[in-house]
Parts: sequence; C-alpha cells; structure tokens
Amino acid sequence: MKFREIVESPCGIRYLFDELELQSGYARKVLLDREMMTDPVRIDEAYASLRGYYGMVLEDRRRVEDMRFRLQGLRDISGTLASLAEGSVLDEIEFFEIKHMAMLAETLPVGSDMENVIGILDPDGLKIGTFYLYDSYSPELRRLRSETDDNPDDAGLQDELANEEERIKKLLSDKLRPYAVSLQKTLRELADLDISLAQAVQMHVEGLVIPSSGKEAAITGMFHPGVRAVLKAKGREFQPVDFAFRSGVPATVIGANMGGKTVALKTLCMIQYLYQFGFALPVGSAVMTPFDEIRFCIGDEQSEKTGLSSFAAEMQRIDSAIAAVEQGGRVLVLVDEPARTTNPVEGTALVAALLERLADRHNLALIMTTHYTVEHAGECWRVSGLLPGTKGRKMDYRLVRTTSHEVPHEALNIARELGIDSRWIELADTIIKRKYE
Amino acid sequence: MPFVGEILRHRSVSIVGLAKNAGKTECLNYIIRRLPVDYFNVAVTSIGIDGETTDQVTGTAKPEITVREGMFFATSEKHFRQKRPLSELYDVSEEDTALGRTVTAKALQEGKVLLSGPSSASALKRWMSSLKVFGIDLILIDGALSRLSTASPAVSEAMVLSTGAAYSANIRELVSRTAFVVELIRLPVYAGPEPSLRVSSFSSLDAGVLKGHRVIEVEGALTDRLLQMAKNGLGDGELELVVGDFTKIFCSQELYRAFLRRGGLISVRMKSELIAVCVNPVAPNGIVLDSDILCSELSQKIGLPVYDIVKNEYEV
Repeated sequence: MKFREIVESPCGIRYLFDELELQSGYARKVLLDREMMTDPVRIDEAYASLRGYYGMVLEDRRRVEDMRFRLQGLRDISGTLASLAEGSVLDEIEFFEIKHMAMLAETLPVGSDMENVIGILDPDGLKIGTFYLYDSYSPELRRLRSETDDNPDDAGLQDELANEEERIKKLLSDKLRPYAVSLQKTLRELADLDISLAQAVQMHVEGLVIPSSGKEAAITGMFHPGVRAVLKAKGREFQPVDFAFRSGVPATVIGANMGGKTVALKTLCMIQYLYQFGFALPVGSAVMTPFDEIRFCIGDEQSEKTGLSSFAAEMQRIDSAIAAVEQGGRVLVLVDEPARTTNPVEGTALVAALLERLADRHNLALIMTTHYTVEHAGECWRVSGLLPGTKGRKMDYRLVRTTSHEVPHEALNIARELGIDSRWIELADTIIKRKYE
Repeated sequence: MPFVGEILRHRSVSIVGLAKNAGKTECLNYIIRRLPVDYFNVAVTSIGIDGETTDQVTGTAKPEITVREGMFFATSEKHFRQKRPLSELYDVSEEDTALGRTVTAKALQEGKVLLSGPSSASALKRWMSSLKVFGIDLILIDGALSRLSTASPAVSEAMVLSTGAAYSANIRELVSRTAFVVELIRLPVYAGPEPSLRVSSFSSLDAGVLKGHRVIEVEGALTDRLLQMAKNGLGDGELELVVGDFTKIFCSQELYRAFLRRGGLISVRMKSELIAVCVNPVAPNGIVLDSDILCSELSQKIGLPVYDIVKNEYEV
C-alpha cells in the first residue's frame, strides 16, 4: 500500500499531508510513492530518525530553516541519472542538473562522493552552481571558440567546434558514470531529508507525538487535526479521546448522535496510517502495533448521493474486508455504522452476524460503531454523552468502557438541545413511553 | 534614444503587441540593443511559444531575439537545445510544458535565441521571483500575441505597446482602436470606500441585483454582457465598476463609450505604466501606411510620443 493510495482516504489524512510543508515537488512525489511499513523495527527506526530532526527543530530552528531553504533547489533528476547509468552521453542541461544537485548535497548532511562529482563539473574550482562546457576542458575547445568568434560565418569551424563539444560531453559522461549509483542514492536522501524536516516541523506546529511499538494499541488524548482546525475556526475546542484495542477482541463503539463516534473512528484509522508511514501522531501518548492491512469501511458522500447503491457499496467494502481477514494477514478493520441505511430489524441482524462471523480471529482487530444494540463477547465503548443538567449543547465526547451493550437513548434529548420542533419531539417521547414503559 | 531611459526605471517591463506582426519583436530587439547591459543585469523571456523563426500564420520572416553578452534569458529546453550563443546555465525549472522545462541561462557571447519562456502568467511570475537570487535589475517580457495578460500590473510594472498596420490597415481605425487600448491602460485606480457588491461574469444577473449599488467590484473579466447589464441599470443614478486591471476588460469600444456617456465610470485596482507606443506601418499583406502621419495622429490622440523604430532607427 502506497501513501498515494490512502491520501484521499475518508479518514482525513489529507489534512496533515496538505499542511506538510515540503520544499520540493520531488519530495512530494517520493512521499506519495512510499510503501506502508508493517515491520515494527523499521517503524521504530524511522521514528528514531524523526526524533533526531525534532530535537533539531527545538534546539536549532535556524539551521532547520536554512536546510529547508536550500532544499527548495531540489529537482527530480532521476531521469537524467538513469540515462547516465545506462551509458548515454549527457548534454549541458543534464550536467547542470547533476552539478546543481551535487552542490546542494554538499551543503547538507547527505550524500557521498559528491566532491568527486563536483570536481568533474567544476574544472576551474569556481564553486558556483552554474554550468557550461568550460574552455578549460580542452585547449582545442578554447582555440576553436576563439577562432569562431573571429570568423562567425565559417561553417567548417562551426562543425569542428561542435565535434569537439560532443567529444567533451562524452568524456564527462564517462567520468561521471561510476558515480551514477551514489548520485541516485544522494537524490533519494535529499528527498528523505526534505520529508523528515517537514514532518519534524509539523510535529512541533501541530503538537504531535512519537508513539512506541507494542503488542496492543493503547492511545490517550487522540484528536483529529482536520476537525480540530475546523472547530478552532469556530472558536471551539476538540475534546481529546482515549481508546485501546487489540487483535482477537472486537470492539463496538455506541453512543448518542453527534457524540463523535465517526470522528473517533476516522481518527483511529488516520493514526494507524500515520504510524505505519512513520509520521508523529495526534495523541497525548500511544502504544501502537502494525497491521499488514488496514480496512476502513465508511459510507462516503459519493455513494450516499447515489441513494440505493450506498448499501451495496457498503456491503462490498465489508465483504472485501472479510476476505482480507480470511487471507490470514494481520488486519485492522474499522467499520462505521454498518447497515445503517437499512431497516433496524435486518440491520441489527447484519451487525450481530458480522460480529459472530468475525469472532475469534486472532489476526483481526475489529472496531465498529453502531446504533444497534448487539450483544457480543468483545469490548464495548460508549460516548460519555450529554452532560447531566447542562444546557446549551454540552457534549462529553470521551469514550468509556461499558459492560452494557444497550445503546443509550439520547437522540430525543439531543434533538431538544438543537431546538427542533418541540411538538414533534414530545410526540416521539410519548410513543416510546407507550411502547416500552 | 527614446524611452529606453524610462525602461531602466522599472524592474519589469512587458512588450505587448496588439496583433501579430505589429512590430513587437523589433521593438524588443530595439530596446535590447540600447540597454546598458554592462551596468544592468537584464533578463529577457517570453510568455509561451512566440519565438518561431517564421510566423506560422502568414509565413513572413520573424526575427529572433538577439541577446547580448552577459544578459540572462529564459527559454524552453527544446529551444535551448536548438539554437543559442554559448551560455552558462543558471536554473532549470520544475514545471514542465510541451516544450520541456524552462531553462534560465546567461549568454557568454552575443547571439540569437528563440524565446519560449514560462507558459502562463502565474508560471511567469514564479520565474520572475526565482530570478531574485541572481541579482537581476530589469526583466523584459516578450508578451505573446493578443495575450495582454503579461502586461497585467500583477505581472510587470510597466509596458511598451506595439501596434501597426497588421492591427488595422486604415489609419483612422488603427488610431481609434489603439487609443481605446491606451485609454483602458490609463484608467484611474479606484480610491473610494469598499464596493457594496461584488459580481463576476459568471454570476446570474438581472438588473434588479445591481439596483441601489453605486460602486460594484467586478471579479474576473468585465464582459459585454456584464457591462450591458450595468448600463441598463444606470437610469437611476451613478454607477462605478471596479475591475482588477485593464487586462480584465473584454468589451467593445461602442458599449464602453455608451456606458460612459450615460454617466458610468470604470476604474481599476491596479494600474501599469505605459512607457511608450511603437508602430509598424507595414502589414504582412504588403500594405504600407504613411509612418509620419500615423505617428503624429496617434500621438495627438493619446498624448504620448509614438515611435516608428524601424524607419527612424534612433541612434544607439
């Protein structure tokens, strides 16, 4: 799974990607092409490196900004380097690109052999990042140039000059070829540096935290950066939420409408992706564990607009998640209110059956939000809900473990808080009392 | 040496032609030949592809730009590889166009180049700001055919306008049409309170929407449709339209005049300085206008000196 494939995920990871201040288009491309990590050792290595850059952001911001400014000069010259490796004769533009990158790497803590490369492309030792076929490459070149200057219309001289220039281009290409591999490595390192510095700065700006890896996931104080930004613009605060989950024990999340169940699920999904791509997390603290696959099943606006097909799209998403579990890899499945668009009788049955279908799978961590009351052997979390006695839309969004799987009946209270037509709501209240009490 | 001193007072100048073969390239070469490049770091580019060796439409010869030793220029990879004097590479842009990326180089000897610089006004602006590190004092932009957008004050500070028989073969009409463009360039900068209404040419409008507003901000283009609407709403009092800059005005002279006659006003947010008007009395179809009459009539009409730089070959 590449970063490119999850950047538009409905979990909203796009927000952090957009806010990530990469200095070069090439680093952006490299990041989008990165593969998701599934080995905790590799993830921890990536975090160790990020921790180092974060320290630099805190202690020496000027150096960081200086490095980032330089990285604006990073260009994607992978095509040029591939031609070099293949044995092509390069032209001036390509020599310029290589020299430019080598000189950039020289000023940054990356790259090897760049001194030799620069030596080839800077014969006069000028130490400036520009390039042309310098006269000093051959006395013949110097002579021919000076002669064509005096006789600009001599076609024979023009040809001789062109041949000599061609000879020098070939010579330079041959001299550079042994460095093709280290040039490619350096290019990659420059992009990685750009990404790491951007991540470290983002960690500082957004208040993100590096997690540790463990057997079970335990998260405190998680928040959704995108939603937090929207709330902040309205002068409101995001209430951080705690959560824990582990493979083999399905978890359901129940609670009032507008209680933040879906946002919590999106946040969990985003955090898992961020962890496996080596980003710091929007949490107070976290222990995380990697999965081979992450499946997020949520109705998106597109399918909701197409009416009938939303149910079909949802069922297919869950179906494919079940198939992934059957494959045997470690899978995290996050499902937002399955079967919510159908009638409560069949809906409840589908949800209960899904939990049973996926029970006792030790390779599966399942987290599901629902409005239906279903009994299961796993864990149940409940949104704290409307604070008792408070007025003016005061919701406690925290998730608490509960033993009762009975979904809370708070929809009417919330509708009252919203100021919805009171005769309608009170009638609903009467109907409920008549039926259940 | 007319108007070159004026050019040196600005950091960026566009040379814009009102029609193909209106003499824009001669005008640019005229300026380049007279610039004191020993004291000034000058960079030249064009917007998009406008440096072909022959005019693709009419087949007439189209001179290339002659850059002088020490001048910076920007062109596409393709044209850089095709033809140029010995030059030192300074930058290769990230943006890719049909002709490749934009290459910025310094000419190490005088020679002819085909200019095909950044392909859009926004790419051009990015290129211009990327030049800062090279210590450039003056940027000359060869504006593409009928694309006045390069002359937008959002891109360049000042402009030179070239017009000629290719734009209209009738002196009276040529003078009138050119004077109209000049009039738009010189529209006053708006200095009143914030307009009470903002509209764009995409808005669905009826006269009622504009009612009761004295000043209206026009976002994007001012089209005939929008201006007609404004004119119809003029019955009950004054109305001032505020446009971004003159390059956003796309309406006919007749309608524009009718709007003003009925008491309407048009002003701009940003204004660029018109340095000079150059004329080319020769049209590609062979028609030759009387250069002296053309210069004097146009000059009289717009109140600015007008130059025929080819005929008069002002001293270097």
